[in-house]
Amino acid sequence: MTNKLDMKKVKVALERKVAQSYEPVKPAMQFGFVHHNVDCIGCRACEIACKDKNGLPPGPRFRRVMYIEGGTYPEVFAYKVNMSCNHCAEPACLPTCPTGAIWKRAKDGIVDIDSTLCIGCRRCEAACPYGAPQWNPKEQIIQKCNLCVDEIDAGRKPYCVMACMMRVLDIGPIDKLWEGKHKTTAVGPHDETVRQVKNMANPELTKPSIAFVPHSKGKVK
Amino acid sequence: MSKRYATFAVVTATLISLTTLLAGCGESGTATPAQQAREDLENKSELSASYDPLHFKPAIASASNEQCLACHREVIEDRVRPVSPAGVKAEDTRAWYQLTSTYEGEQDTFHRRHLETPMAKALMNLQCNTCHEGHDPREEAPGSSATATSQDDRGFTLRKQVNPETTCLKCHGQFPGWELMRLPGTWDEAKPFFKNDCMACHVSTRTHRHQVNYLNADAIEAAAMKAMESGNSADVCMGCHGGRAWYRIPYPYARNPWPEMPEGMPEWAKDRPTHSDPRFIKTEPKS
Repeated sequence: MTNKLDMKKVKVALERKVAQSYEPVKPAMQFGFVHHNVDCIGCRACEIACKDKNGLPPGPRFRRVMYIEGGTYPEVFAYKVNMSCNHCAEPACLPTCPTGAIWKRAKDGIVDIDSTLCIGCRRCEAACPYGAPQWNPKEQIIQKCNLCVDEIDAGRKPYCVMACMMRVLDIGPIDKLWEGKHKTTAVGPHDETVRQVKNMANPELTKPSIAFVPHSKGKVK
Repeated sequence: MSKRYATFAVVTATLISLTTLLAGCGESGTATPAQQAREDLENKSELSASYDPLHFKPAIASASNEQCLACHREVIEDRVRPVSPAGVKAEDTRAWYQLTSTYEGEQDTFHRRHLETPMAKALMNLQCNTCHEGHDPREEAPGSSATATSQDDRGFTLRKQVNPETTCLKCHGQFPGWELMRLPGTWDEAKPFFKNDCMACHVSTRTHRHQVNYLNADAIEAAAMKAMESGNSADVCMGCHGGRAWYRIPYPYARNPWPEMPEGMPEWAKDRPTHSDPRFIKTEPKS
């Protein structure tokens, strides 16, 4: 004999459970970007290739090459930091979305978005510590880098990586990139990768899947 | 000839004086800060507006919402799309954290939810400059231009005008370690033992809360007490502190002294600040 469930109570309990719990997807493998801050010449070919592939109007930039300059003569410095979506281990954008337009793939950790489900509340844009979700004012929706998931599924690399003439931008399994065990042109034989560079938001916020070869002035102490 | 020029000069000077006088009367009249800001903007190019002192420290620290919103009107005027491009109706959709009993109203934008909704106005006192501390629009990173803020300024980060670690996290961080609260496990594991009621303990401990100028402390406490009586205090507390904890680290809340504060600093609090950021300390209204 089984007790008959009070479905009203079940519904309330379910809503309470859903309302107060969120566990990020733990992927089998996590893809991430690697960028050499010093060897990058800042040509922005990656930015343009990305805009071209995604048909973006003026305004939104999924990828951004930032020119960091400073110091006082004679000790001046300049380097580039190149970031798009970092496909975080614990993405802040994902749980903010009221329509479920953002999700994380279990097989490779790519944080993808179906912008046709977006109602333009811009919560994900505010929540991301790294400025990845981009507002498209013409369409009134958010769009963002999905690591060219179609290219990945076809066994190729994202457009930004393929456009990099200096070969300083690449993708790979992020754990191996951090450990220096992934063969890539973006990391030289004596280079060491780091998870954070100066002025970047705290990686502990969402655990971004990105590795940098930092400039000496861009290292976080 | 010179007489004609002299007459022309006198007439012009008179007209200028009259115009200035009338303009002066207008200024001393009823122009609100927002109207004044709009009038100022009309006389500026986009470039000069971008470099208005209001966008920089120290002026931004005293900027009113009206002054900011005079130009950045879309922050308040933009609404969500009623229907997404694929046909998802905004009114039919709720995020997991929007299922709490305290969530009210239609879907709205991030900024409107924080500034304009009745609950936001009742419980918070957020200003534009609570989060936006201003910086040179040419700067990709703090300290990289002639008009730069100091290098250790954490007001903004790469690709972001606002640093979530010093803003969002104040309210939306994870609870600090459950061990500190002497719970048998994380709140998700332990909440059934406490009937999912934060106030079971917090009605008597840490009662001097939310004492910062961007929150309405009394209204928050009243909402929590009311919710406790109806048995859903968790929804009220978790609505900010846990339900929206998309960042995986806690915020190091300042241990401002409180009456009967025990002497000495416990080990777990040794890295915590002892006073709130001066710009958020509440000041008594001038009588």
